[in-house]
Amino acid sequence: MTIKSRKARWSALALTTAMVLSASGVATPAQAAQKKLTIGFVVHVIGNPFINQIIDGAKAAAKDLGVTIKVTGPAGAEGDAQLTAVQNMAASGVDGIATSVPAASMVKGLNAIIKAGTPIVQFNGLGVGVNGPYVGEKSVESGRLLGKMVLDKIGGTSAKGDVIVGNCYPGFPVLENRQKGVLESLAKASGVKIVGPSDVKVDSAANFAAWQGLLAANPNALAMVGLCAPDVESIGKVNAAVPGSKTIGGGYDLTTGNLAALANGSAHISLGQTPFVQGYLPVYILVDSIRNKIKINKPGFIDAGTEIVTATSVIEPFKSAPLTFTELQKMSASLTLTRKYYDPLVKGYIKNWKKNLKPIADESA
Amino acid sequence: MSERAKSKSRRFKFPEEASVIFALLVLVGIVGTLRPTFLKPQNLLNLAASYSISALLAGCIVYLLSMGEIDLSFGWILNLSAVVAGLSMIAGVPVWIAIILGIVAGGLMGAINGFLTVVMRLPLIIVTLGTASVFQGISLISNKSGSVVPTDEKLTSNIFFRALGGEIDTPVPFILIFVVFAFLVLHLTLHKTRFGYRILAIGSNPEAARLAGIPTKRIKILVCALMGVVSGIGGVLFLGFRGAVDPSTGANLLLPVVAAAIIGGTPLSGGAGTVWGSLVGALIVGVIGVGVVFLGIDAVWSTLVTGLVIIFAIGVDQVVRVRKNRAG
Repeated sequence: MTIKSRKARWSALALTTAMVLSASGVATPAQAAQKKLTIGFVVHVIGNPFINQIIDGAKAAAKDLGVTIKVTGPAGAEGDAQLTAVQNMAASGVDGIATSVPAASMVKGLNAIIKAGTPIVQFNGLGVGVNGPYVGEKSVESGRLLGKMVLDKIGGTSAKGDVIVGNCYPGFPVLENRQKGVLESLAKASGVKIVGPSDVKVDSAANFAAWQGLLAANPNALAMVGLCAPDVESIGKVNAAVPGSKTIGGGYDLTTGNLAALANGSAHISLGQTPFVQGYLPVYILVDSIRNKIKINKPGFIDAGTEIVTATSVIEPFKSAPLTFTELQKMSASLTLTRKYYDPLVKGYIKNWKKNLKPIADESA
Repeated sequence: MSERAKSKSRRFKFPEEASVIFALLVLVGIVGTLRPTFLKPQNLLNLAASYSISALLAGCIVYLLSMGEIDLSFGWILNLSAVVAGLSMIAGVPVWIAIILGIVAGGLMGAINGFLTVVMRLPLIIVTLGTASVFQGISLISNKSGSVVPTDEKLTSNIFFRALGGEIDTPVPFILIFVVFAFLVLHLTLHKTRFGYRILAIGSNPEAARLAGIPTKRIKILVCALMGVVSGIGGVLFLGFRGAVDPSTGANLLLPVVAAAIIGGTPLSGGAGTVWGSLVGALIVGVIGVGVVFLGIDAVWSTLVTGLVIIFAIGVDQVVRVRKNRAG
C-alpha cells in the first residue's frame, strides 16, 4: 500500500467515524426537545400472569403517550438481580424507570440512580426510603378486607375451626402486610385457629402441591387463604378434587385461572390490585413529570385501588362503571377491552395523579 | 523472522484463559458497536462492581469443581452470614467484630457441609441439598422473615459502609479492588501451594490421591470451609455494598456462579480449574445481562437470547481452544 492510499483510507475512516458519531451521539437542542422518551419498566419476575397484566398496562400507557418502553426483569424474584437490571436500564440511557421494589437492599442503589438524575416510580412492591412515588394497593387494608370477607363466609365472629393461611414468599414486604391484615381480621373470631402462615411457594406446580398437602393435613379446615397470584387457582383445584368440600377459598389477583376457579365455585373470593393501573400510572407519571419538568424525587403514595370479586359480584375501585363477572373474565384475557374499560380512569384519576399523591404512610395505614 | 524470534514465539504460550477472554471481547465488541454508551468506563466499572460478589463466589467454587464436587448451599451461607453480621451490628456489636462474626459463621456452615460429606460419605451436592434449606430456614427465623437494615447513623457512617457503598470517591469501586485482590489470593493458593495441588489431585483421581497419602477427608472439609468463608465474605460485602440484606438475598446465585466457573473453563469432571477464567466467565454472564437491557430486548425474549448468547460464548471459546491446541 502506498502512503497516499493509506492516508486516503485513514481520512475516509475518520470521516465515516465523525458522521456516525454525529448521527448517533450528539443532538441539537431542537432535536433534544423532540426526542422520543424511553421508559424502562423493571418487574420482579418474568412469566407470571399477574405481572403480565401490569406489563400490558405499562405498554398501553407507552402507546397512548407516544414513548418507547423497555421491559425487563429477573427470571426469579430476587432483589439484587432486579437492582442490577434497574442499574443497567439507567446506564443504557433511559429517561425514567418504573420498578417494583421487592427488597430493602435495592433502596440505596435506587436512590443513587435518582440522585444521578434518572427519576424512578415504584409499583406493586414498595421500598421504604426510596425517593420516588409508589403506585400500589393499601396492602394491610386489603388484607383486612380479605380476612373480613373470609370470616363472613365461615360464620362471622362466632366461627370455630381452622383457617389455613399461605404466603408464597415469606419476607416479601407487601405480602407480609397483607398477612398482617388478614390475621387481624380473623383474630376477631376467637374460635378460629390459624394454621400457618405456611410457605406455599410461588411456582404454580409447587404452589398447588403445597395447598394440596395443607388441606390433606387439615381436612376440616373452614377456609384456605392465600396471599399471592397463584393461590386462588391452586386452592380451587385442590377444593375441586375433594368431593363435597365446603372449605372456603380466598386470595388475590384476577388472572384467568383465578377467575375460572371463582366461576366454577371451587374458590370464593379474590381481590384484584387493578394491575392495569399499576402498569399504566407509573409510566404516565414518569412521562408527565419529564415533559413538564415536575420533580418527583420524594416518597409518596398513589392508591391503585382494590377490586373485590366473587362469582356473583364485581366491585371496581374509584367508582368505575359496573362490571359483571363475565365481562371481567373477558377483560382479563383482552388488553383492548381492559384499556377501553379503564378509559374514564385514564382521563380522570390517572391524569390528575398529582392530586391523588398521598403521604407514603397511607400505604400501610 | 530471525531464528531467535522464531524460537521465542514458539516458546510463547497463550494463557489457559485466552479463549474465554476472546469470547468476552467479542461480546463487549458486539454490544459496544451497537450501543456505544455501553463502553463508557464508568458503565463498565459499575457493571463489574455489580457482578463482583457472584464473581468472587465463582472464583471459590472453582476449588470445589476442581475437586469434583459442587455446593448448592453457598447462596444461603452468604445470606445467613450477612444476617449474622447485620443483626450483630444492630444489637450493638462493633462493626468490625460483627463482620468477623459473619465470616466465621460462613466458615462454620461450610465446615458443617464438609463434615457431613465426609461422615455420611455422600457427595457434597446431596448434603448441600439439605443444608441449603437449613441455612435458609435459620436465616428466616433469625430475621423474622424480614429485611435486616442497619439504619443507625453510627453504623452507616462507619468506613465499612461508606467505602463499600460508594460514598468514598475512588476511581475504581472499592468492592472491585477487594475482589481482584481476593482472586489473586485464590489463584495463587490453587496453583502455587501444596493445598491447591492436593485439591487438583483429589479431583483428578480421588483413590490415587488417597493412596498417595493425601488426607482427602481433611482437604474436603477445608475446601468446604473455605467456600463457607468466601460466601461469608460475600455476605458481609453485600451488606456493606447494598446497605441491607433481604430474605431472598442469595436465592438466585447458584446458576450464574456455577455458569461463570464453567464458562470460564473449569470442567465439571474435576482435576483442573481456572480461577481467573471464572472471573472472565462472571463478566461474560454480566455482559449478557447488561447487553440484553442495552439492546432493548423485551423481557419475554431475554431468557431465550441469554441462553443463545451463552451458547455462542461457549462456542467461541471452544473454537479458539481447538485452534490453540492444534497450533500447539
